[in-house]
Amino acid sequence: MLTKFITSVSARFSPFNSRSGKTARNFLALLPPNARSTMTIDVQMLGRNAAAEPASLALKFKDGKEMSLDIEKMKIKDIQVEVDRHSRVLRRKEELAG
Amino acid sequence: MPPRIRLRTQDVLTRRTDYICLSCRHTYASLATTPAPSLSQTTPAPPIHRHPRNQPPSYKPPEFRKSQLHRQYQSLLRSAPLMLIFQHNNLKSTEWMAIRRELASALRKVDEDLAGQGKQDLMAGDGVKIQVIQTGIFASALRVVEFWNPDFSAKPQVAEIHPTDPATPTSGPVPATTATPTDPAFTHGLSTSAYLTAKKNRRLKHGLEPLLSGPLALLTFPTVTPQHLKAALSILSPSPPNFPAPRRRTNPSYHEPAVQNGVQKLMLLAARVEGRVFDLEGTRWVGKIEGGLDGLRGQLVAMLRSVGAGITNTLEAASRSLYVTVEGRRGMMEEEEEEKGQGVTEAGQ
Repeated sequence: MLTKFITSVSARFSPFNSRSGKTARNFLALLPPNARSTMTIDVQMLGRNAAAEPASLALKFKDGKEMSLDIEKMKIKDIQVEVDRHSRVLRRKEELAG
Repeated sequence: MPPRIRLRTQDVLTRRTDYICLSCRHTYASLATTPAPSLSQTTPAPPIHRHPRNQPPSYKPPEFRKSQLHRQYQSLLRSAPLMLIFQHNNLKSTEWMAIRRELASALRKVDEDLAGQGKQDLMAGDGVKIQVIQTGIFASALRVVEFWNPDFSAKPQVAEIHPTDPATPTSGPVPATTATPTDPAFTHGLSTSAYLTAKKNRRLKHGLEPLLSGPLALLTFPTVTPQHLKAALSILSPSPPNFPAPRRRTNPSYHEPAVQNGVQKLMLLAARVEGRVFDLEGTRWVGKIEGGLDGLRGQLVAMLRSVGAGITNTLEAASRSLYVTVEGRRGMMEEEEEEKGQGVTEAGQ
């Protein structure tokens, strides 16, 4: 997954939800080791009782695009595809400009 | 030609034989009889065990790394009553090293405090360990530990007769004399029955299923010690009111970039305390218990004592009211008697 163009990640989920919790945690595990220095990461974890509450994952990119991903339905592969689709556009722009 | 059987010259020279006259030698040899077979030679020898006692058959090949990890995780789950589950998001080895160093120093401080209070038996800081686990193997080991109850009294199901017994008919097929790998008598965690039990009961839930995916690390405590848990939480997952991170002035090494970056990437997911699953809030609640288990016992004693005082008051109340009534009645009767006595004396006069 191309994480170079992400500037902000905000996630709100309960790890006890087997669907959204797993997806959100997998996404956070895909961020590189120096992610905290290149982007702002805001993680809010809910408890066990709040497992059924709606979870959210919102991203911001360098060009200002905001992407809110439905982690209730999407799996980590789908999220990768979505993020990469926009990141590739940004990468091409950067290559042409630079 | 040199002799085929090599004898050491030393042996040949020092060998001493008792003198037997040549003419008598043959007589002695003819008189010698074979000794009667001993009891152990007459009874059939027990069948050869295919599996040594300390190497029972395991379901997966025991020489594989995953088998040994499975065994290790089972032992960890059985021996650690308190464990925290963290997700580690791409920590570097220097960050792990720094976190382990900070954790060890914080726990050592707790131990020193406990030693100062004279509670040497509560010092468990050395046994606290943080380790990265293989998630899938750990999930399987957890199922075995939770749902598999080995029958320690089971006898191996082997055939009654075995081939070395003279009574066994030799013409027919001989039954197997060693326990099969599926035998319930094998009570180790890697056995086939353990594997099948853990795999079969998919409907049984231990509560940690949604958490067991992705990169996980375990912080294990050898005993349930809220003091150590509090110190560990304030290092690994600080939250200001109850578990504040150490101040820069008191502990400057905690504020090094390696530690800070590492702590940011560790996410506390849940805790497993004596087989029960606690979420983030529950974990903090356990860490918040003042004065550890002794404090909890003190609270319980105080509560029971107040209840006891209430009970004694209630039980006393009836007898006390009876006493008051009887006393009142006696006072009344005494007054009446006095009045009567006075009346009698007055009449006498």
